[in-house]
Amino acid sequence: MDSYAAQIVGILPEILLIVTAIFAILLDLLSKKEERSWVATISLVGFIGSGIVSVFLWNRVGFVFSGMVAADNFTAVFRILFCFIGAITVLVSPEYLRERKIRLGEYYPILLITVFAMMVMVSAADLLLFFLGLETMSIALYVLACLDRRDSRSTEAALKYFILGAFSTAFLLYGIALIYAQTGSTSYAEIMTALIVLPLEVVTVAGVGLLLIGFAFKVAAVPFHFWSPDVYQGAPTPITAFMSVGPKAAAFVALIRVFTISLESLADIWTGAVFVIAVLTMTLGNVVALRQQNIKRMLAYSSIAHAGYLLVGIVAGGPRAIAATSFYLVAYALMNLGAFTVAMLMNRRGEGDYQLDDYRGAGFAHPLLGVTMAIFMFSLAGIPPTAGFFGKLYLFSAAVEKGYILLVVIAVLNSAVAAYYYLRIIVLMYMTRAEHEMAAVPSFGGYTLTLVVTSVLVLLIGSLPGGLLNLLLAALP
Amino acid sequence: MNVASSLFAQILFVVFALLTVVSAAVVVFSPRIIHSAFGLLFTFCGVAALYVFLYADFLAVTQLLIYVGGILILIIFGLLLTQRVMDSKYFEQSHQRIAAGVLGVVLAGVLFGVVLATPWTQAPRPDTPTTEIIGVSLLTQYLIPFEMASMLLLVALIGAVWLARTKRGHHE
Repeated sequence: MDSYAAQIVGILPEILLIVTAIFAILLDLLSKKEERSWVATISLVGFIGSGIVSVFLWNRVGFVFSGMVAADNFTAVFRILFCFIGAITVLVSPEYLRERKIRLGEYYPILLITVFAMMVMVSAADLLLFFLGLETMSIALYVLACLDRRDSRSTEAALKYFILGAFSTAFLLYGIALIYAQTGSTSYAEIMTALIVLPLEVVTVAGVGLLLIGFAFKVAAVPFHFWSPDVYQGAPTPITAFMSVGPKAAAFVALIRVFTISLESLADIWTGAVFVIAVLTMTLGNVVALRQQNIKRMLAYSSIAHAGYLLVGIVAGGPRAIAATSFYLVAYALMNLGAFTVAMLMNRRGEGDYQLDDYRGAGFAHPLLGVTMAIFMFSLAGIPPTAGFFGKLYLFSAAVEKGYILLVVIAVLNSAVAAYYYLRIIVLMYMTRAEHEMAAVPSFGGYTLTLVVTSVLVLLIGSLPGGLLNLLLAALP
Repeated sequence: MNVASSLFAQILFVVFALLTVVSAAVVVFSPRIIHSAFGLLFTFCGVAALYVFLYADFLAVTQLLIYVGGILILIIFGLLLTQRVMDSKYFEQSHQRIAAGVLGVVLAGVLFGVVLATPWTQAPRPDTPTTEIIGVSLLTQYLIPFEMASMLLLVALIGAVWLARTKRGHHE
């Protein structure tokens, strides 16, 4: 057994976030009103620090705390991604909160704790710890969704999210209980060995089924997606951006760890179900997104569709598919964060609005927004040379290698449908005239930095995709 | 264990199981929220009794202390301090009751079938009180989940205070 110091180093990124969160709470309490903006800076420093520590932990630690925490390279990749997502959310938040006169309060500390909980979810090597991470993340998200209590839509979103979240948690927990009853353990590794040895009982199948339903709720897969468009539309936009990428990625990584590793021996049983869910998810997401006039709802349905593509990777299984799924998660995080930031800046007419018509002629009126939005839309549609294109390419080719031709054909057809509504925004921006005077867009360093960083990374990964893919292949658990 | 005492235990078990299920049904179906809260009292007590049957002594006492003694009292206080709650009725215009009911019954049937079809393995009966074992494992094997649970409570606490704060503080 390692020394305690070595074990603590294994969870240092998490500890850093928690310490920053508690420090930020105290600072908010003790400082004067005009000094409170420091809280944002400190949170940003916390995210960057934790990300840097995660980089240094590459290849250094394995399982710590009696096998509870897998501080491996796979975890490190997602710790870095989550710190990046957290930092971007901090960058786009202050101006938004100031404009809407939302009191800062515990916003940043709760955001830090959410990211901390996401890290716990991906580093957990035990269903018990995973569940606690998931619950901590969910409770923090319910609060963040309810940020603006004067806005009835935000309150409604939070309440819906809370009730459906609690409902789905019950499924997940029931599944965990049944699997524990059969295998006698909650540890991923012990479940894996127990399932290989034990004869297959109907209770295991029921446990896996309930677990799958719970996960499907959390990643908003059809038919368990009903909450997500309303919640995405109602929640404050920085939080929507955060929710659509961070918690979704955390749930997917946990799904990878649980299903493609622990429950691998039962793959024959769950692959069929995930196959059907994947097809339904991408088809429904894309078809409904076509009809949306509200960009937040459109991106919500697009986010459902992307969950469907990601499930293709889970169906395929195997190292290449897992690496491709991880690649897609990274690419999706970058382009979606960017797209939501543009949506936030383009909306100048109150929180309930976000109409697509606002984009008419916007490409020339706001050059930076136009160009970056075009990059994000190309990437979401999967057009080269963007990260989104290679994400889809790797994902679908991994599925073809495993013989899931039909699934890939459906996914490619779906991408073609999706291209219509993504490219429509570019058409609106550059090929139509504005009907009204263009509203001024707030100039704030955080927004510009976010747009530049995310779009450059989307293009960079799109031009040199092999580097990231090899990194992910080397990081596989 | 002789036949008479095992029969007595069986009867006790059925009584407590019925208490749990019936009061849980009251919690769900009662139109008055205050009745639901009091129904929950009996559900929690019944579950505590079921823990006793499973030789989970520590868990049973914790269930009584935390759920009945703490959480339930808080719920009832919260209800009493909320205006007009005593006569408020909810669920009245829910139009998806039938679909939800059918799905619920199907799910319950499937789970019941699974329970009956499974050859359950029985854990050995502990011959010492479980408190010490639980305490030791919380600080060794389960140290990280234990700490994580405290983070869960921390964020729930901060979140609850933030959401419940008066409007005045909000408009600051």
